[in-house]
Amino acid sequence: MNTESPGRLQKVLEGGFFAVTAECGPPRGADPVPIRKKGDLLKGFVDAVNVTDNQTAIVRMSSVGACQHLLQLGLEPVMQMVTRDRNRIALQSDILGAYSLGIKNILCLSGDHQRFGSQPDAMNVFDIDSINLVRTVWNMRETGRDMSGFDLQTPPRMFIGAAANPFADPFEYRVIRLAKKIDAGADFIQTQCVYNLERFAKWMDQARDEGLTDKVHILAGVTPLKSEGMARYMAGRVAGMDIPDFVIRRMAGVPKKNAAREGIAICLETIAALREMEGVRGVHIMAIEWEEKVAEIVAAAGLLPRPSVD
Amino acid sequence: MESPFKPEITVFHCINAFPDVEGLPLGQGENFSIKAFKLPCTGMVKDVYLLRAFEAGADAVLVFACLQGQCRYVEGNLRAAKRVKFVQKLLDEIELDGRRLALFNIAAGDAAAAAEILHKALPELVKLGPNPAV
Amino acid sequence: MIVGEQKSIAEIREIIAPYRKLLILGCGTCVKTCFAGGEDEVAVLASALRLALKKEGKEIAVEEFTVERQCEDAFIQEAAAHISPGTAVLSLACGAGVQAIARRFAKTPVLPGVNTTFIGVLDKQGLFTEECLGCGDCKLAIFGGICPVTRCAKKLLNGPCGGSQKGKCEVSPDLDCAWQQIIERLKILGQLGNLRVYVPPKNWKSSHAGGPRKLVREDHII
Repeated sequence: MNTESPGRLQKVLEGGFFAVTAECGPPRGADPVPIRKKGDLLKGFVDAVNVTDNQTAIVRMSSVGACQHLLQLGLEPVMQMVTRDRNRIALQSDILGAYSLGIKNILCLSGDHQRFGSQPDAMNVFDIDSINLVRTVWNMRETGRDMSGFDLQTPPRMFIGAAANPFADPFEYRVIRLAKKIDAGADFIQTQCVYNLERFAKWMDQARDEGLTDKVHILAGVTPLKSEGMARYMAGRVAGMDIPDFVIRRMAGVPKKNAAREGIAICLETIAALREMEGVRGVHIMAIEWEEKVAEIVAAAGLLPRPSVD
Repeated sequence: MESPFKPEITVFHCINAFPDVEGLPLGQGENFSIKAFKLPCTGMVKDVYLLRAFEAGADAVLVFACLQGQCRYVEGNLRAAKRVKFVQKLLDEIELDGRRLALFNIAAGDAAAAAEILHKALPELVKLGPNPAV
Repeated sequence: MIVGEQKSIAEIREIIAPYRKLLILGCGTCVKTCFAGGEDEVAVLASALRLALKKEGKEIAVEEFTVERQCEDAFIQEAAAHISPGTAVLSLACGAGVQAIARRFAKTPVLPGVNTTFIGVLDKQGLFTEECLGCGDCKLAIFGGICPVTRCAKKLLNGPCGGSQKGKCEVSPDLDCAWQQIIERLKILGQLGNLRVYVPPKNWKSSHAGGPRKLVREDHII
């Protein structure tokens, strides 16, 4: 690994500490205040914050722009980058710009199809896919060259992430896919949020058997449920989501005013179980539009204080 | 006093549904006129025939086919039904009113049923008035 | 074959509105097969338009003619006999045919009556599916004969994505995930190892992205 002054996330993971990351979405407008507010709620409780890139194909402030605002607050961003909206020219260009601003982490994704976003009439790009993007960033870091082979005077040396969904791929392909992302150059993996611990444990077993947990830092995703309605919606309407019946029943079994508390309890139990799994190096808390709960969850999970790595 | 409107009805029928309109128990037939086309199967009815019937001046076009599952050529009446539906939609789109076109399924040889259907349909067809594209 | 769908009557009426003499020109190849613009479809459209115009008391002559293919000049020439000064041609061919007609009859307004959509196959009567988008650099050999460029909604070469669920694409519950199909096909072929191989970024120069294309076969040009 070839980085000058690695970022905090990289230091925490390489130092063998259990990492904590969270996620926030930029606003649908040009005002930095909403992103700063979210940043303030997370500061001190997480090692890095993912900033989404026009998630669900809804136009929002750019990821690189929002990352810059978080940097100014003293947080470490993970810039998410999708291949849906930008070709290889724009992607490389934005990576150079991001790194020049001090952004050290990137999560490479394909991106949700624009059919269901705010601009379904738009042309999509998909010039390269997410694994191509991982390899591109890795090449820039390791060889100092861009995709055309040009020698970058100051190459971006980012810590590279990719996403994994243990609940979506066809069975025989799960581990192949993870291995492919690692081979392409992924340093860390953030997974889709986990509710089905049994199924997740099986995926981790397979990954471990292939020796993959020694080659990449896996951060398991978690999302606290706010209500029975949210659980049902995610179970039925969100692709690649596995929410077992007993979880939905737990959410349904408490009075509405206690639903949020039950959701957080389930989240904490999940985190506790994940910490016991060999190969799980951290947790990625996706409390979208509920960022104020991250601090509470991190504290109650016994993950404070965050380790000192400087 | 205005003489009541006598719809000109074009009938497409397969000879298995009934052999000919002359054999239908229609009474005097003073309040409508029929132009009939005999076919070995209603599956032979092409979209364009239905439309050309209206071009030729029909106020209404009725298709008589065999009962579901009883077409002796197996799918003919199914195809006819799909085509009638297609042309009904087309007629609506050009504001001629798809209700001027209809398909009825009757048991093979049931001339009485055909006649009854015609009589029942007549008041509705009169209400639709003459073909506005004539 | 090229697949297309006839435009709505409403849109066609808007398109032909300025003209008094119309030739509806059909094509007997691709658009006939997908029921958009063959001889039968020309007849139906002509009849429907005549009825619609008569109802509005508009006088417009509507002629019908169909050629074998509108993408070849030798066949297009046959339509000349049906075109006179003042004729507007409503072509029911694919976009290529419409333009070929416009080139051949340069002083005649040539209007499209069909929305051309994709290169595809006839899966079964009435069902057509998109199969190829003409990227100019075919890699079907490594994907078990299933094209991820065309049939994956995200053109992934190292798919599937996280939105693949129960064999369906996130875009629509009645769209199969091409990558699910590729995996299953490679399993049958004993070539699952292909999935382990990193596929580099596609060279789009040979596709439409590189500019409109031309094929010149010198060995056939005298």
